[in-house]
Amino acid sequence: MISGLLSDLKYRLRAVFRRNAMEHELDDEVRFHIEREAEKYRAAGMTAEEASRRAHVAFGGVDVVKEESRDGRGLSYLESIVQDLRYAIRALRRNPGFTVGVMLTLALGIGANTAMFGVVDRLLFRSPPLLRDPDRVHRIYFASMDRGTEDARSGTEYTRYLDMRRWTTDFSELAAFSVRGLAVGGGSDIRERQVATVSASLFDLFDAPPAIGRYFTAQEDTVPVGAMVAVLGYGYWQTNYGGRSDVLGQPIDVGSARYTIIGVAPRNFIAFSEEGPPAVFVPITAYAGSFRAGPQLSNYYTRYNWSWMEILARRKPGTTLAQAESDLSRAYRLSWDNEQSLQHSLPAVEIAHPHAIAAPVQTERGPNQSRLAKVAAWVSSVAAIVLLIACANVANLMLARSIRRRREIAVRLALGVSKGRLVRQLLTESLLLAGAGGGLGLLVGHWGGALIRTLVLPDHGASHTLSDHRTLWFALAISLAAGVITGMAPIFQVRRTDLSDSLKAGMREGVYRRSRARTGLLLLQAVLSVVLLVGAGLFVRSLRNVDAIRLGYDVDPILYVYPNTRSLKLSDDASAATRRQLVETARALPGVESAALGLTVPFWDTWTEYLFVAGIDSVERLGSFTIQAVSPEYFSTMGTRILRGRGITAEDRKNTPKVAVLSHSMATTLWPGRDALGQCLRMDSDTMPCITVVGIAEDIKQNSITEDRGLQYYLPIEQFHPEAAVVFARMKEGAAGQAESVRRQLQPLMPGDSYLTVTPMHEIIDPNVRSWQLGATMFLAFGGLALVLAAIGLYSVIAYDVAQRTHELGVRIALGAGVSDVVRVVVGDGLRFILIGVVLGSGLALWAGRWIQPLLYAVSPHDPLIFGVVAAALLLAAGVASLLPALRATRVDPTVALRSE
Amino acid sequence: MSEERLDLPQGTLDLLILKALSLGPQHGWAISERLHQVSRATLQVPQGSLYPALHRLERRGWISARWDTSDNNRKAKYYELTRSGRRQLEDEAEDWRRLTAAVELVLAMR
Repeated sequence: MISGLLSDLKYRLRAVFRRNAMEHELDDEVRFHIEREAEKYRAAGMTAEEASRRAHVAFGGVDVVKEESRDGRGLSYLESIVQDLRYAIRALRRNPGFTVGVMLTLALGIGANTAMFGVVDRLLFRSPPLLRDPDRVHRIYFASMDRGTEDARSGTEYTRYLDMRRWTTDFSELAAFSVRGLAVGGGSDIRERQVATVSASLFDLFDAPPAIGRYFTAQEDTVPVGAMVAVLGYGYWQTNYGGRSDVLGQPIDVGSARYTIIGVAPRNFIAFSEEGPPAVFVPITAYAGSFRAGPQLSNYYTRYNWSWMEILARRKPGTTLAQAESDLSRAYRLSWDNEQSLQHSLPAVEIAHPHAIAAPVQTERGPNQSRLAKVAAWVSSVAAIVLLIACANVANLMLARSIRRRREIAVRLALGVSKGRLVRQLLTESLLLAGAGGGLGLLVGHWGGALIRTLVLPDHGASHTLSDHRTLWFALAISLAAGVITGMAPIFQVRRTDLSDSLKAGMREGVYRRSRARTGLLLLQAVLSVVLLVGAGLFVRSLRNVDAIRLGYDVDPILYVYPNTRSLKLSDDASAATRRQLVETARALPGVESAALGLTVPFWDTWTEYLFVAGIDSVERLGSFTIQAVSPEYFSTMGTRILRGRGITAEDRKNTPKVAVLSHSMATTLWPGRDALGQCLRMDSDTMPCITVVGIAEDIKQNSITEDRGLQYYLPIEQFHPEAAVVFARMKEGAAGQAESVRRQLQPLMPGDSYLTVTPMHEIIDPNVRSWQLGATMFLAFGGLALVLAAIGLYSVIAYDVAQRTHELGVRIALGAGVSDVVRVVVGDGLRFILIGVVLGSGLALWAGRWIQPLLYAVSPHDPLIFGVVAAALLLAAGVASLLPALRATRVDPTVALRSE
Repeated sequence: MSEERLDLPQGTLDLLILKALSLGPQHGWAISERLHQVSRATLQVPQGSLYPALHRLERRGWISARWDTSDNNRKAKYYELTRSGRRQLEDEAEDWRRLTAAVELVLAMR
């Protein structure tokens, strides 16, 4: 047995390494046999020729015998793969145009998908690194009815977290988590960084033992104030401490408090942060307990007035999701009752119907999926369609090639090569092409992915396509699939090959036949191109509509300057003086056109107060009215127009009569049909002094670009929280590039360890436009790609047809057909074909429109202009694609065409 | 040529080759000749099919091959039985006898 194995191995090794020698031996051996046999016949008196013929007949098919002998050697598998590969490479090299075309087509298709996979995987599928058993870990959402609509939110209070810990039974761990942007460090490297404030239980959700030191324990995470200990993030430890282990025990300033470093988290540990890796992890109770933001937050663990964190929980094994959710909901109702006993204005459980949801940890898979994620999902299915089109194109090219090779294939079949072997060879070719295409596609995905990520995930830590193994596996899988799919078509061709027919007919077919499979593939491409281009048109128009929306303020020239006071305790007067000084200095800076004070910035913060208006029962019921407090230059700095009355002036000081400027919509909401100027608003209670309306401003977009009701009012900053003011600077040009220089020039004004952050306004607005940008860019890119692929496909089919019809066209020309007749025949064929595609594709796009409708803005999914333009584009492409072969057809020389018969 | 030539039952070609080689080293053509003559031209052994079988037997280590000069002074590939090949021949021959004896018994049934 052992010796058998050994000889087997020896034989195989010899066969692998001395392949040529063995091949020669086989040749010699067979030749010897046949010659010997022939000798026998000659000895019996036959002629040399007759003897040799008889010997060959007696031996049988030489090639088959050789083939079977190789099989007998038992390594045919490995060897024949090598052989197939060689054969494939040789065949592909003979046809460089075809090879390069197919590789590029597949590279674009695979690259597009790889790039989109990187994004969608991050948004929707990938769970945080090192999370143990992610399927049982949930982000908890709380839902209740509010003014007739149900809203679900994951942001909640620490008190709620304690309630859920106390009253749920189906969870093995619950953790509290919040990422805050806080100043970290001291001296020159003080910067605002992501700080994760977490419960001690959070670490138990992960398989992530600390790199050095330890995590904090439940005893260090207790109300009212936890232990002032900190765990560094791995990246921060590496860059700011050089990975030294003597950091343990050192102090570190985080926000307004000082902590002691007790450990370092392992590489890649980011907890549940979706804003990149946190620099530091601190006990959530240490942060909340030492947070000096006024007395109302000091009882953060007994009251429900500070919603600032999220709850993550691990279901116990054996507990179903439904059980866990009902357990959570029961606990939430108890918690709700508790909250209501403290705050009687809260509606009762019976009215609000509070219930809890245990969603996947990825926020984009929770109940509040962003429009961006939805668009990204759409775009990735578009990428899949592009790949499909690319495959169709390649299959089409392969089919054309295999039809051209029909004779070669028939000959090889006749020579005794088995169909199975032939199929394997064809498959090897297509897999080789797909593999090469996939390799190139990775590069395409690498560059393209970087581009798409800047559109979709600018805040996420960039991961590289080429180093991410999930993306690599994905690329490999789709390359394989593409190879198999594109290889299918010619394989069917082989299986149908009828030997005698092919050999007989050869290349001279009197009547040309168009392959039905090729026609079908081409039609599919045309249809899909129409659908994608219609999608592109819809998103481009949406983006243009969104861009055309007037926000009520300028974006590009504005810088937002936010003073961060940190632990510094200034009197209100001193703080207000600092901010006045900031705006005056800013105004004098070169490059600054004007500067003004404000209180909030759109999209980032909202300030509201209770309002009372004579004759209106409850102002709150009419909507949410947001406050902006401003200095006199505000309106001109921001570019917000005053429609009637006046703006805020320098005469509106602390002790002068209180005044307000209202947005147009607020004025008409509070005093419909009446003049709002001169009316009286009261704040906090109906006994407070009048705030007189002195002006009407245009509406601005405060919280949403598309859905904002524009209910704002403006107060003089001197009359409303001057100590909390922020600065807006209007730059003469290039605001974004000057943010850092403005910061550097203003920073010296900041007392103590307080500091400034300067943000270009467009960075605040852009994320709100991003979903349309993504949709428009990607649909356009993919739609264009699809169109080009379809045009190439059409071109190759028509060019092939023309080549096949040389004879027929020659006859026509010989019978007196002119250039225009020939062109009409060929181009008409192509156009007719695409027209069918346009009609079918338009139908499909009309039908699919209703699903994409919610992602659009102010454009109907049935927009006739878009459909018209797309149809025209397709027909144009078809015209060009068929005109080139048509012109070639007119040059057919009838004598040559006919003589070749 | 005889009218009644028999196709070989599956798997018996190996046995015949081993047997032919048990009388001494031979090259492929001589094996085919010997089988043809000894069976009085009854057995239909396609000459070509000999070679895949020879290669299979060589891989299994039952026969070994070397190049040598043939009787007409040309290089030919000679096969000879190895020790394990000899054992294999005995086993297979025994199996064959038992099988044919059993088939005989069944056919002799009245």
